[in-house]
Amino acid sequence: MTPVTTAAPRAATKAPARRVYAASVLLLSVWVLGPIYLLFVNTLSSPEAVNSFPKSFIPQFDLGSLAFFAKFDGMLAALGNSVIVAAMTMVMSIAIGAPAGYALSRFEFRGKELFRLLILLTRAFPLPLLALPLAVLFIRTGLDDTTFGLALVHTTLAIPFAVLITFSLFSGIPIELEEAAWTLGCTRLTAFTKVVLPLILPGITASAIFAFVISWNEVFAAAVLTIENRTLTAFLLQKLGDAPIHLKFAGGFILVTPALIFIFAVRKYLFAMWGIANR
Amino acid sequence: MTRFTKLAGAVSGLAIMLGATWAQAEVLFWSTQARPVEEAQAMRDNVLKGFEGGVDYQPNEDGPWLTRLQAELEAGSGSIGVLGGLHGSFSAMNPDDLVDLDDLGVVSSSETYNTLAKLGTDHLQYVPWMQASYIMAANKQALQYLPAGADINALSYDQLIEWTANVEAATGEKKFGFPAGEKGLKHRFFQGYLYPSYTNGVVRTFASDEAVVAWEKFRELWSHTNPASTNFANMQEQLLNGDAWIVFDHTSRLAQAFNERPDDFVAFPAPAGPKGRGFMPVLVGMAIPRTAPDLDAAKALVSYMLKPETQIATLKATNFFPVVNVELPADVPPAVKAAGDAVAIMSASPDANPGLLPAGLGDKGGDFSRVYVDTFERIILAGQDIRSVLDDQKAVLAKIMQDSGAPCWAPDAPSEGACPVE
Repeated sequence: MTPVTTAAPRAATKAPARRVYAASVLLLSVWVLGPIYLLFVNTLSSPEAVNSFPKSFIPQFDLGSLAFFAKFDGMLAALGNSVIVAAMTMVMSIAIGAPAGYALSRFEFRGKELFRLLILLTRAFPLPLLALPLAVLFIRTGLDDTTFGLALVHTTLAIPFAVLITFSLFSGIPIELEEAAWTLGCTRLTAFTKVVLPLILPGITASAIFAFVISWNEVFAAAVLTIENRTLTAFLLQKLGDAPIHLKFAGGFILVTPALIFIFAVRKYLFAMWGIANR
Repeated sequence: MTRFTKLAGAVSGLAIMLGATWAQAEVLFWSTQARPVEEAQAMRDNVLKGFEGGVDYQPNEDGPWLTRLQAELEAGSGSIGVLGGLHGSFSAMNPDDLVDLDDLGVVSSSETYNTLAKLGTDHLQYVPWMQASYIMAANKQALQYLPAGADINALSYDQLIEWTANVEAATGEKKFGFPAGEKGLKHRFFQGYLYPSYTNGVVRTFASDEAVVAWEKFRELWSHTNPASTNFANMQEQLLNGDAWIVFDHTSRLAQAFNERPDDFVAFPAPAGPKGRGFMPVLVGMAIPRTAPDLDAAKALVSYMLKPETQIATLKATNFFPVVNVELPADVPPAVKAAGDAVAIMSASPDANPGLLPAGLGDKGGDFSRVYVDTFERIILAGQDIRSVLDDQKAVLAKIMQDSGAPCWAPDAPSEGACPVE
């Protein structure tokens, strides 16, 4: 989506170029919005309409499929758990990832390359492989079936992104800005909080969004490590696999909507970050 | 940043409010069955509500189900009270990890099932819970193309092929549907239907000349099969949307079609081959892991599940049939009626050749099914020579049988020691 905001047409641009530009904007929008719209239409259609062909592109506003989920036991609690886990994942991955990104960008230290590699390596092992030993450990330590325990796992998954994003952001901010702040009486810490932090807040938001989405979408660990405190994804996805198709649509809709709302709410900060990155 | 902080505040407030409402101390019923949302909800509302002390019914995919169980066994403590799973899931476990259930005093009314449930030991390792089978179903529009003189309740494979060919000739579309997708149960068709019907065996006769004939026939059937079948897993969907008119699948994977439009579809027995009408049951059981937090409550739940009225409620909720003798009520859902009749005709047919579930394979159950799926993919999808594929795969199958030491099961003739591939 980046080209959309950056490739602003100049006044001198000829009409064909503008048409290509408009076409690519349209294509990208349809690429993203098309499936979401179909999901929306099918969610609001009766089971018969979902199974029939050709499909209508106008929703009939049949709330049957959604009403089924509304009275499904444990839905709200699962939604709450998803939000708690995602929020904790956001906070923890930023709290751990941002200092690591700062250190990587500002300091030379022994084993820096190895450290960067190790961070990426946390994504190299598939969760189904890690889930068994993790679950055993969690049961023994009492972390089992807690939102905090699950958030720890999700944080591990989100940290590489947090580190890499913040690393590139810190690298984009000239050290001279900090040095200038030091000469004007700031300590290392106050220079960071007063000068650097405001500049990178949008970036932090972006990595928070990554953390949120990663946590929101993760199923396997959530299914194994929680029982009573299921997240929405684990709660629904386990059951949607074999569900009739109209409920699959409705379930998918329920899973997608909160994430969309969240991203929409923080979009301002995201766009601001692209501004920085493109400077 | 204020809007963001406000949002975060609101969200966490909501989350805390929602998270605080949790009940505990229910028996956790950890199951791989009744997974579809509607079935899971019906299990909670109509089947388990009557159990004193409450049940937390949690259906799961096989992967997380097993991983969680293994973790609890390894950690030596856990929260799972009762396990629900296929016979195959339990036979892959170490019997020592399951509590012996002889003292419960409840068993199924089938001696065969009770023997299977001992998993090769002297004690009951799980209690049969419910059963199902695989049948055929068709859209009534397809009936007009039945070959002359064919009885839908006593079809042969040749007639089925002719029928699907007639439909294709008349409509221009391939309307036979086969669950050959990633999650489809195609291997059961080969193990319990095609092989027994043509070779009167599953393992011994794997690479026999009769097996070559069976695969030739299936290749013929496949030529009239909707090519999108490699994406199909629940044939009820294709019945409902008209992509397939004649299908084979698990009774509970056809149920939605009959329940939604009972007048549009018919259920009928699987076809017969030269060696009879091969068919296979599906057996689901309940077990208690040795780490169950409250053994007495877990046992009480297992007993409760086998009560006749619970079994009937389970039938209505899941379309799986009781394993104890019960009088079926008149108001069963259309799918239960249709599937029940088809299974009854199938097992009562004069040429019935019932098979048993693969037994004694232990953790090789998955590899065993893989052999049949690979054979299908090589012969049918890749179009390789039948004889050479069977000779290839025979070695793989023989090794699995050797390693597991599983003796033959019906319809294969009994064996001393591991079942040989002849």
